Amino acid sequence: MTPAWILDTFASLMLVVAVVSAARVAAARPWRPGSVILDTDIAHLLMAVAMAGMLAVSLRTLPDGAWAAVFCVLTAWFGYRMVRDASVSGVRALAGGHCAPHLVHSAAMLYMFLALAAPAAGAAGMAGMGGSAMQPLQYPTLAFAFGLVLAAFSVQDLDLLSAGRYRLAAAGPALPGAPALAGTGSVAVPRLLRPGTTVGCRIAMGVTMAFMLFVMI
Amino acid sequence: MTDTAVAGGRVAWRGRLGTETLPAGTSRPAGIARAAGKARDARRTLQLALAGVWLIDGVLQFQPSMFSRAFGRMLAAGAAGNPAVVARPITWNASLVEHHAAALNAVFAAMQVLLGLGIAFRPTVRPALAASIAWAVGVWWFGEGLGGVLTGTASPVTGAPGAAIIYALLAALLWPAGGRGAAAPFPAAQAVGARVARTLWLLLWLSFAWFALQPANRAPQALHETIAAMANGEPGWLAAVDRNAAALLANHGLAASIVLAAAFTLAAAGVFLPRPAARATLVLAMIVAAVIWVTGQAFGMILAGGATDPNSGLLLILLALAYWPARAVTPAFPSSAPAELLGTAAR
Repeated sequence: MTPAWILDTFASLMLVVAVVSAARVAAARPWRPGSVILDTDIAHLLMAVAMAGMLAVSLRTLPDGAWAAVFCVLTAWFGYRMVRDASVSGVRALAGGHCAPHLVHSAAMLYMFLALAAPAAGAAGMAGMGGSAMQPLQYPTLAFAFGLVLAAFSVQDLDLLSAGRYRLAAAGPALPGAPALAGTGSVAVPRLLRPGTTVGCRIAMGVTMAFMLFVMI
Repeated sequence: MTDTAVAGGRVAWRGRLGTETLPAGTSRPAGIARAAGKARDARRTLQLALAGVWLIDGVLQFQPSMFSRAFGRMLAAGAAGNPAVVARPITWNASLVEHHAAALNAVFAAMQVLLGLGIAFRPTVRPALAASIAWAVGVWWFGEGLGGVLTGTASPVTGAPGAAIIYALLAALLWPAGGRGAAAPFPAAQAVGARVARTLWLLLWLSFAWFALQPANRAPQALHETIAAMANGEPGWLAAVDRNAAALLANHGLAASIVLAAAFTLAAAGVFLPRPAARATLVLAMIVAAVIWVTGQAFGMILAGGATDPNSGLLLILLALAYWPARAVTPAFPSSAPAELLGTAAR
């Protein structure tokens, strides 16, 4: 079986993603009127916590059914947003819009929990992954398809990230708490709040999710 | 995906989730995404596809069976039928892997994930491509026994002359060499020139034709047995596809080999033809590769578990795309423009 230390390494990576995403949500100060937060950060936080629990038994938080419900909602949310993007910007939004990767991530998580929640997987679900034999997923063709798409989105994100396409010049004024640079009209955006940070989290999650899907085929 | 596309993910949170707020001065996300798409050329897109395949290889290498002694035994099987000079290092390597399966396989898996990420990350694309060539050649020898080309049993249907060597070929053809990009008739020609690229394509596809006609592959039941064996452990729909394809080919090994060899030869010659004919033969090549990938390789047997890569079918499709003729480019400068300006445009 895959050594526990490898699963723990990926689980640790997911914890880092969860912490970063939580920090981004907190930095947006959602308790203040008029504050703005990223739905993607919420999604990243939830996915990272769920995946960490799947990879390491000790990090398990909610039952599989609860997580399936959470990711059902997220899938519907990003599906709705993608349809809305597509209605405004055309079908290119399906491939180029920012909602498509999140929709795939959410759907992949939903698939994993549903495939594990089937009776054959047993009550322990994937929580047994770290400590004993791993549970194969039902409908491996779906796992394969999701794995391919996740790998594609991950390399695309990394390409665009390294091409400097996630700079935030135009979006600066919308960020809460970001100090303005004197005389420039732009803002100094903390590294934590830069889009590159959330894209980096998404790459880490995409690779980890692809890893889990292929390992559990 | 662009900066504004990401910023478009900002959501107002005063009691209702979903009121999207775009920062001042920005437009809808997909408009910018379109600009990003234009900025990326065909070669970069193919590099990213190669990166994706390496990434998949890496995560496949993390499968539980790879950390057992069975992986070492699988490598040792590559020595069978090869000359001693080729087989001995394979056996030595397999023994090493068998005795240190966990540590070595973790290194192999991490290496392949890093190759994928390295090719996708622009500043490291050159070292990653160079490393991928070296790694692929090593895998071709130690992992695939040179694709079985010296054993007399290699079949293009099962992946000969080896998926790994096609990784290396793709990496070389997609090397980000500067200077000739805009003038190249197809992406694969940008790094090595059209003549060398076409020659490599010709050699590869003619080798497929030659392998298809070898006695071991043209026997009446050869293809039938090869494809029927692919059904084991596969999901129902894929097993059914394999069984039906195998049934079609029962006792028609010679005819099927001749048809395959003819298709391979046509594809081999296609890149030397005028643009419309070249496109038609490349489509043929992609269809043949896709059929082989599904029926003869069962997606590299990934769905059955224990596969190390998607095999050669997917790579052959990528390779064909690398030879897809570029559109005729209208010169951006009048013919009387200074030479140094034209040179700049070409770069």
